[in-house]
Amino acid sequence: METLGFLMDGFAVALTPYNLMFALFGAFVGTLIGCLPGLGPANGVAILIPLAFTLGLPPETAMILLTSVYAGAMYGGRISSILLNIPGDEPAMMTCLDGYPMAKKGRAADALAISAIASFAGSLIGTLGLIMLAPVLARFALTFGPAEYFALFLLAFATLGGITGKNPMKTVIAAALGIMISTVGIDISTGTQRYTGGVLELYEGIDFILAIVGLFAISELLFFVEARMGKGRSKVNMGKLTLTFKEIVSTIPTQLRGGVLGFIAGVLPGAGASLGSFISYTLEKSVLGKKGRFGEGDIRGVVAPEAGNNGAASGALVPMLTLGVPGSGTTAVLLAMLISLNITPGPLMFTQNADIVWGVIAALLIGNVLLLILNIPMIGVFVRLLSVPPMYLLPIVTMVAFVGIYSISHSTFDLYFMILFGVGGYVLRKLEIPLVPIILGLLLGPEMEKNLGHALILSDGDWTTLWSSPLSIGLWLVAGLGLVLPTLVGPILRRRMRNAIKEGPVSD
Amino acid sequence: MTGLGDRILGLCLLVLAVAYGWVAQQWPEPFGGTEGVGPETFPTMLAVVLVVGSLYLMIKPDADTQWPVGKTALELVVSIIVLVVYALLLEPLGFVISTTLAVGTLSWRMGAPAKSAFAIGLLSAVVVFGLFNYGLSLSLPTGLLGGF
Repeated sequence: METLGFLMDGFAVALTPYNLMFALFGAFVGTLIGCLPGLGPANGVAILIPLAFTLGLPPETAMILLTSVYAGAMYGGRISSILLNIPGDEPAMMTCLDGYPMAKKGRAADALAISAIASFAGSLIGTLGLIMLAPVLARFALTFGPAEYFALFLLAFATLGGITGKNPMKTVIAAALGIMISTVGIDISTGTQRYTGGVLELYEGIDFILAIVGLFAISELLFFVEARMGKGRSKVNMGKLTLTFKEIVSTIPTQLRGGVLGFIAGVLPGAGASLGSFISYTLEKSVLGKKGRFGEGDIRGVVAPEAGNNGAASGALVPMLTLGVPGSGTTAVLLAMLISLNITPGPLMFTQNADIVWGVIAALLIGNVLLLILNIPMIGVFVRLLSVPPMYLLPIVTMVAFVGIYSISHSTFDLYFMILFGVGGYVLRKLEIPLVPIILGLLLGPEMEKNLGHALILSDGDWTTLWSSPLSIGLWLVAGLGLVLPTLVGPILRRRMRNAIKEGPVSD
Repeated sequence: MTGLGDRILGLCLLVLAVAYGWVAQQWPEPFGGTEGVGPETFPTMLAVVLVVGSLYLMIKPDADTQWPVGKTALELVVSIIVLVVYALLLEPLGFVISTTLAVGTLSWRMGAPAKSAFAIGLLSAVVVFGLFNYGLSLSLPTGLLGGF
């Protein structure tokens, strides 16, 4: 068992007191980020990147911190779903369906507790899947040449909108914009200045961290200003914890099913955590049929989506770690951290930076235990923080973003750039241009160009090399499907998801 | 006309794409010539993709979204100005003063009572400043409070 040995090494990295402290801190902050409205997981992780930098953390500690935040955010998303009927993040949407009715019946504490357990189970299953699948996939990915990588990057963009995405053309536009921004600066292979306009600050290109923070944090602030939701919303009472051991045991099959389905949805390109929680909820509903009282506060209706979305969250790390191709916004931000730590993501990471990869995986396992421990007794703390109105919270978050960006370079030039990205992000979001492909474009653009160049040099400028191996043809096909399928299947799936959500409030 | 927003965006993107592609053609051939891929190859491909995308947007736009008008639009502009002024004053005024003003103004405009908004602003500024300068020994600008 080679993997087990690596995992043990990973534990040795993650269990040092220093790293453990950051894992705990990350888990706490992550839960906070997940439950606070207006601070999605991608946004939250993005704001923490500059801080991880300026603290001068070693790479494995920085990654452990951010992965714990990521795991924590998935836990936290459910808190506002259950108490406020507002999902803290998109995948927590399905948790509203049974979580909120449960809370209204006075079983909020039970719903929070059982969902914490389900999150733990889902995450555990997902992480175990990650441990088994990632090394295999990484070994397979070693056979990829530059042409295959080029096709793989295209596939990542094509499937990013997800199967439920609305307008695939807008994903294409967003990706193109992102890659275009990444071409600013001095060309690595020839030294030609591109789109710098002679501005010294642009010679090294546009720092994607400030672009990410601007796009997410600043545009979020503007959205809140527009929506005038500064006051926050009222929430239901917690109630007493009446969850019995028998009830927990009765949901075990649901947890297993949800976790496995979620993991699969997380690994597959174009599916993601939202679909993971949706599939596990609908499956649970059809498996249990009339025996369940879904939509009216059935405990399994809380367990299924939570296990699903946490399984998917770990699953989404598989393509990110093994191929360097993230499938979601938050994993894209994690990739940004890797790149800025000077670690080349992809299969080689498993051999060259084994301590980091396995440290992160072990941290994920430890983080889950920490999260479970944190989430049951300390739930009251998070619930109280939930009542901090956004009108105080968002300006402070924005300020922290400013401080983070400023402390990287100590130049206000970067701050203006960040504001510019924020305003641009706001306008694009209003026009329903997704921001995640822009970020992925920023991150993958240079790699894409490099691989294109290598492929063409290897083939003496013959462009057909890009689709000459069976593997690359397969990748091109899936990429094509990723663009075509949403227009065919998307409307149906979206309608189903909407219907499922509509049923909830109507029946109470 | 419906889909005006998308059409305007499409037009802007088309202009951007053409300009971007045109600039790429102007670069001198790098020393030693190129093998297959020059500095302009990839940008040219991107320009083509964006031209196609922007044309599609203009031909088949999605339904329009609700744009903020009147007072809400003004609030947005004010928020953006506050951010720019914050960046502008960060170094001359120092972190604590400028942050108090920026966070305070933003909270106040988002609906908090003015007094508590600025109190929260000052509190968060002092806490973050203390944390960064003394806890993490990263220096934030002290500005007017230089001796402090």
